[in-house]
Amino acid sequence: MSGARPTGAPTPRPRRGLPDWLVIARRELLERVRTWWFVAVTLLGPILMVALIVVPAVLASTTGKEGVRIRIVDHTGQLGAPLSTVMAKIGWKAEIVDVDTPEVTLLHAIRDDQIDGFLTIPASVLAEAPAARGSVIYQGDNATNQIVVLTLNQLVNQAVLTVRFEDLVAPERLAAMITPVGFSPRHTTGETSGTSGGAVFIVGYAVMMLLYLAIALYAVNVMRSVVQEKSNRVVEIMVAAAKPRALMMGKILGVGAVGLVQIAVWVGMALVTMTYKAEILGVFGIHAGGWSLPPMGLDVVAVVLSYFVLGYFFYAALFAAIGAMVSSEQEAQQAQTPVMMLLIVPMMCITLVSNDPRGGAAEVLTMIPFSSPILMPMRYVLDGASGAGVVVSLAILAASTWVVAWLAGRIYRVGILLYGKRPSLRELGRWIKYG
Amino acid sequence: MDYAVRVTGITKRFGNHKAVADLSFEVPPGVIYGVLGPNGAGKSTTLRMVNDIIAPDEGEIRLLGGLHAGREAAAHVGFLPEERGLYPKMRVAEMIAFMGELRGMPARDAARAAAGWLERLGLGEWTRNKVQDLSKGMQQKVQFAATMIHEPELVILDEPWSGLDPINADVLREVVRDQTRSGRTVLFSTHLMEQAEQICDQICIIARGKKVLDGKLADIKRAAAEEGLVALGFVDDAARARAEAGPLADAAIVAGTRPPRPGDTADLEVELAGGADPGRLLAALVEAGVAVRRFERVTPTLHQIFVDRVGVENATMAARDAGEAA
Repeated sequence: MSGARPTGAPTPRPRRGLPDWLVIARRELLERVRTWWFVAVTLLGPILMVALIVVPAVLASTTGKEGVRIRIVDHTGQLGAPLSTVMAKIGWKAEIVDVDTPEVTLLHAIRDDQIDGFLTIPASVLAEAPAARGSVIYQGDNATNQIVVLTLNQLVNQAVLTVRFEDLVAPERLAAMITPVGFSPRHTTGETSGTSGGAVFIVGYAVMMLLYLAIALYAVNVMRSVVQEKSNRVVEIMVAAAKPRALMMGKILGVGAVGLVQIAVWVGMALVTMTYKAEILGVFGIHAGGWSLPPMGLDVVAVVLSYFVLGYFFYAALFAAIGAMVSSEQEAQQAQTPVMMLLIVPMMCITLVSNDPRGGAAEVLTMIPFSSPILMPMRYVLDGASGAGVVVSLAILAASTWVVAWLAGRIYRVGILLYGKRPSLRELGRWIKYG
Repeated sequence: MDYAVRVTGITKRFGNHKAVADLSFEVPPGVIYGVLGPNGAGKSTTLRMVNDIIAPDEGEIRLLGGLHAGREAAAHVGFLPEERGLYPKMRVAEMIAFMGELRGMPARDAARAAAGWLERLGLGEWTRNKVQDLSKGMQQKVQFAATMIHEPELVILDEPWSGLDPINADVLREVVRDQTRSGRTVLFSTHLMEQAEQICDQICIIARGKKVLDGKLADIKRAAAEEGLVALGFVDDAARARAEAGPLADAAIVAGTRPPRPGDTADLEVELAGGADPGRLLAALVEAGVAVRRFERVTPTLHQIFVDRVGVENATMAARDAGEAA
């Protein structure tokens, strides 16, 4: 036996490097940021997101405009002609057919794609008493297209008005009189100056999507990374060198930092895009100054960031606990469902907030910690929430995040060292109690 | 420092199963100490408690003269777990340096030490490769470097020989000896008695979570030798038959016989009856006219001591439990 040491009191060697959670967080950050996948998503992400919003809008607007082929069954004998004339003006192909044409023939025409649909105008439409009029029916494969339906509605009503008034007013004056006035919604709560309603909605919706995607993406990433560490057994050397709490915290912080880097790049790109909007659109040959986004104040940025950070921590802790509970990625897919639902339900409640940002449903949804990170920033952008409301909601979220992180930490501590059967709820309770 | 590891009365339960029961042992500084036992004996659980990965339900563990296991001792201890794993996508040098930093080294020192270890292990060309590009053997070496990078005074290895080919097993044995030459203490577990016998200064045999025997390997073997074991070689089958009919059947001298250990030239090994002198057996054989080719007092192998003390039944029972308590 060589080198027996002199006896003496031990002196703990002071830690000279970084704290363990920081070493872990840095590793998690670097491992992700260095991949080409991260670079690609960060740079192409905004382009994809814009495409996701713009392409359907463009498609929808073009299908409404390009020639809708229509047949008109006109029982009044008076509406068909003016209708087909105005339709021709907007590039639709309208054809008046005999009133005795069986419906089957017209349906077959739709089926064989000879026409898009047909309009049935009952004779009673021109009756004076509203109750006796009945309604004009449109049947077509594009009856779900809002632009087509709105256009038809407007044209038919204009035609009815024209016929009703043609004996009373000179035709040239009549045409001018029944042309609808412009109508544009301005969003305001009485406190803020009105901005374009559509633009406010787009910003609110974009903020909500951004938060949902960022939280879902990165929180799930935490779970997958925990499962991978378990399945390739790295966790064994990790727990020997650091406390599970430091492991969990380092991982959540590291992955969250990746999210922040990505969001910072995206916000930067968005600012550049907005500043040079005209020049960028010019490159694509579009010279429109039409839509303008409402200015994004610093308060909005602060709200979005606060909810991202807290919402991410909330969900990341939940997903980390799930990752620690399972032994394989397939199992994780199943086990994550309940938590996934918590994330998806707020998505399905978007309209509850956007339709009535100051309503009771919006109020409740933006206080519950599961949904507030996703819905509150949107509600704030839509001017539905007061500053005090945001503070209360953030406080609730922060408190619940603390509780969730504490519970998750206990589950994590026990879970990462166990393989095999997924724990039952009772066992989970025991882990939390004794963990 | 009086001791490198002092374990006092630790107990660990998993549900109703007692994985470790009232276990105590002490590892002096600078020795190679083996915790031996069949699968499921509680070795891994014990080493995990020594590393503060799990906490004992009862009892106390102190390291290096008084440090608490865990954070306080982290910078002084290196641990190679039974289940090996590395981050497959990390570069080799970064992986090793990362473990050093996790144990409290400043980044620059860790990077330098990692490069040094890779040179020493003959992996200098692989520094910038990813861990997943390495062969299994090379990954084992990286794992070992990751355990040792912060130059721990106490090195703990859980089943270090599992999965190693004979050449790498020799290399590992050399590395372990190297550690104690520079004054470090090595505590390891194994169920491979041959490996333990070649390298241990001291051992502790445990079975079913309880200590069966501990002490210096040399003392244990000497004590076992005194219990009396003789290797016998006969000139021919007739001699053997004569011996078996006469002296070997005498219960006053012989407690039992068993086949020789593998590779030995003896025909059988004789366990002497309690208190019986080997000379008495030899005299009896000569008297019976048995032509003996070989007569030798043998020291039992560690494996034999192990089987004797743990019992075949215990070993197999424990092996059956291995799954639940490994």
